[in-house]
Amino acid sequence: MRVRAVIIFLTTGFIILSSGLVNLQVIQHKKLKEFSDRNCIRLIPQQGCRGKILDRNNKIIVDNSISYDLLLIPQRGLSVEASLSKIAKILGTDYVKLKSTYNQGYIAPFVPITIAANITTHQAIALEELKSDIPDILVQPHPLRRYPYGTLASQVIGHLGEIDHWRLSKLADYGYQTKDVVGFGGIEEKYDYYLRYKEGALSVEVDHRGRFIRTIGFKPPQDGKDISLTLDLGMQKIAESAMAGRRGSVIIMDASDGGILVMASSPNYNPSVFIEKDRSRISSIFNNPNAPLLNRAISANYPPASVFKSIVSAAALETNKINLSTSYLCTGSTKIGNRSFACWDIHGKQDIFDAIAQSCDIFFYKTGLLLGPDIIHDYAVKFGLSRLTNIDLPYEVGGFVPSRTWRKIVKLRNWFDGDTANFSIGQGELMVTPLQITRVTGVFATNGLILYPHIIKAVNGKPVYVVPKKPSRISLKASTLNTIRQGLRKAVSDSKGTAGNLASAPVAVAGKTGTAQVPKGMSHGWFAGFFPFDKPKYIICVMLENGGSGHAAAMVTDEIISAIYKENIL
Amino acid sequence: MKNSRLIIIAVALLICAIGVMSIYSSTYQKEGRIWQDIYKRQIIWMALGVIFFFLLSNFNYRKLWDATYPLYVFAIFLLFLVFMLGLTRMGAQRWLKLFWFNFQPSEFAKLVMVIFLARYYSTKSSFDVGLSAARLNLMKGFVLPLLLTFIPVGLIIEQPDLGSGVMVLLVFMAVVFISGVKFRYIGSFLGIGIACMPILWHYLRGYQKERLMVFLNPNIDPLGAGYTVIQSKIAIGSGGIFGKGWLSGTQGQLRFLPEAHTDFIFATFAEEWGLLGCAVLLFLYYLIISEGIRIGMRTNDAFAKLLAFGISMMLGLQVLVNIAMNLGLAPVVGVPLLLMSYGGSSVFVTFIALGILANIDKQRSVF
Repeated sequence: MRVRAVIIFLTTGFIILSSGLVNLQVIQHKKLKEFSDRNCIRLIPQQGCRGKILDRNNKIIVDNSISYDLLLIPQRGLSVEASLSKIAKILGTDYVKLKSTYNQGYIAPFVPITIAANITTHQAIALEELKSDIPDILVQPHPLRRYPYGTLASQVIGHLGEIDHWRLSKLADYGYQTKDVVGFGGIEEKYDYYLRYKEGALSVEVDHRGRFIRTIGFKPPQDGKDISLTLDLGMQKIAESAMAGRRGSVIIMDASDGGILVMASSPNYNPSVFIEKDRSRISSIFNNPNAPLLNRAISANYPPASVFKSIVSAAALETNKINLSTSYLCTGSTKIGNRSFACWDIHGKQDIFDAIAQSCDIFFYKTGLLLGPDIIHDYAVKFGLSRLTNIDLPYEVGGFVPSRTWRKIVKLRNWFDGDTANFSIGQGELMVTPLQITRVTGVFATNGLILYPHIIKAVNGKPVYVVPKKPSRISLKASTLNTIRQGLRKAVSDSKGTAGNLASAPVAVAGKTGTAQVPKGMSHGWFAGFFPFDKPKYIICVMLENGGSGHAAAMVTDEIISAIYKENIL
Repeated sequence: MKNSRLIIIAVALLICAIGVMSIYSSTYQKEGRIWQDIYKRQIIWMALGVIFFFLLSNFNYRKLWDATYPLYVFAIFLLFLVFMLGLTRMGAQRWLKLFWFNFQPSEFAKLVMVIFLARYYSTKSSFDVGLSAARLNLMKGFVLPLLLTFIPVGLIIEQPDLGSGVMVLLVFMAVVFISGVKFRYIGSFLGIGIACMPILWHYLRGYQKERLMVFLNPNIDPLGAGYTVIQSKIAIGSGGIFGKGWLSGTQGQLRFLPEAHTDFIFATFAEEWGLLGCAVLLFLYYLIISEGIRIGMRTNDAFAKLLAFGISMMLGLQVLVNIAMNLGLAPVVGVPLLLMSYGGSSVFVTFIALGILANIDKQRSVF
């Protein structure tokens, strides 16, 4: 019985195949024969637009413009030389140069050759008019990345280039292919998968000479998704112009959610150089000793210097090593072990408020020695140092917090009191990124929250975080936070405060300066603070690489805040 | 009585000859020595296959009964070897390099699974010396052999070679069906299988999904998977009734048709020989498969019966699936066309399978 079913099954199968054959070879024969005769189907890849990058108010930071390529189809028997000399006249280029591009690009009689890329709209129109004389030229538009503000936020945005071997090996599984244009650095790299367009294709029937007959199938290209950042275009511009000619970075963070309003790193570069493929300018970017490609806000480590003192204060208050009535006398120097440690000034009697405001080193040497390196280390880690903030940008570095164990195991040296003293004023082996310091300052601005710094707001208008990432809370006493906040305010409001120049700012600012001595060159200057003091909305961190002092950083801060209020951006 | 052995070898050689002609036609315009030598390699494999056909047709198939389990273990060992090589090479790996040639263990595994299942289902009941298959319970009659089949199938699909894996599963269904296992087991398996489709879909690789989607509408992706099907249909259809003539098929010659000498050799052949040629070819395939079924019906040995039916179904299903795929009636899965597609392992194993068939018919007179 079942054998019979099998026989019927097989026989039916063969009948179906036979009828399929008859269908194709008899019924559809004429149509398919024509397809085959015309020989046959050509595929024309269709480019889409890469997604735009927008600021928090959906103002364009990076978009695309239409550019034109000139192609020539060699096969039609017309004199190539004559065509090329006419084209050379319009483009204003050398005929010999065109001829050599033509010879290099030649593949087959029917394959169009790109003679010139990125020609102007003017030239494109002129060439289109020439088409009645030379029918075998083709002007093809394609989208090109445009940077309307040039160098603005260049390290945050990143640039574009042809995919390299290393990236291809990692991304091949996601449909990336050789010659694909991908992002390098910044948003362009991190969110490349969203930004990139999906190539479409037009399958057209062409005759034996490559002439278009009709379209058979079309898969439209899909444009990349637009990405909105939390950046504020106006504030970013102000910060970058304040940083012009200096090295360093500025970060302004939204105290309510950790959104980055400004991230400026100086010097910067113009990403359009990579679009124009201007070799000499590209190599001058790579060879620039000031490393314009480096995002100094997240990818560079610096000693925090006095900015670190707020963490030491918090540790000391929290562990009751000092209280509000503790005071030390600053005579300009103190002896620790058999070495003399100097303060940068002679401050006299200093309590915690004065010590923060005037950044007295003596106070913190002594407080640090009371705490010991272990507690300072633990508090530094608690404030998020030595780990990544996990901001949504690539190539973030995490800084470093030294400890006794590390010193023993890695450096094979003991930890001395002198090291503790240096540690207490943020010098020595301690390393941080400006973004980490911004987040530390945020703890005092938000009464104890470690914010999640982020720079992406939405993809194609849809918020990225369906459930917003909640900041975590550091367990600190309200009195501790309040004391340090008062100290930070005093640094600005007190006539002796290190950031006294900010007292005239249009808003009540609080913050801490820092002057980090470096082995070579001028000191680094820091200012990390928040404003308005009563209800902090913004956290600002200005870092000047070899900029001289914290005072210089406070000056830049003043310039930025004044300009922001003057232009009424907030 | 007709001499089945003669019919089988004669038809097989005819098909092979057609195959070599088509392989020659699809490659002779390509440059490079490798392409020029492809049809010669196929002839060497054929010759080797014919020798093994005669060896196997004089080798008592009952010895396969004893060798079943070692064969099964050996097949899995080979597949596993391929799997391990695939892991280290980070990519698709279907071949084992033996001396100077590449061998595809999945082809070998197909045949071994037929022998294995034939033995499994031909066990006699110890009470009345009748076949026990129909009386087996769900566990022994269906689930256990299914699991034992899934070991090689899993390894094959993992290579990834979806086509061969699905072929083994189809052969399993065919043998189970013929052996007389209760209908409700088979039915419920099919039911569960269909119900699991959406889940299995999830596990398919990107390109496999694409091919299935393209099967529904080839024009959605003219750039990728749909291209082959479109070109194959054009090749077959443009052949018409009389064909374009040998060495004159534009689709195959001008490289419009991908895989013109392997999975899509039928399209190459159909373009050049037309409907008449195809009718002859289909008739030859039908002849060889129905001969196999006839051998199965003639023999009285339960093992031989299942073996003959299993082999015939294995061959028949491959032919049906491959040609259907060429015609655009089935999704593009990598299944070679019996005795025609370029590929030594497939030709070699097919000849061995045919040799076993011939031997079953020869031993019949002994009983």
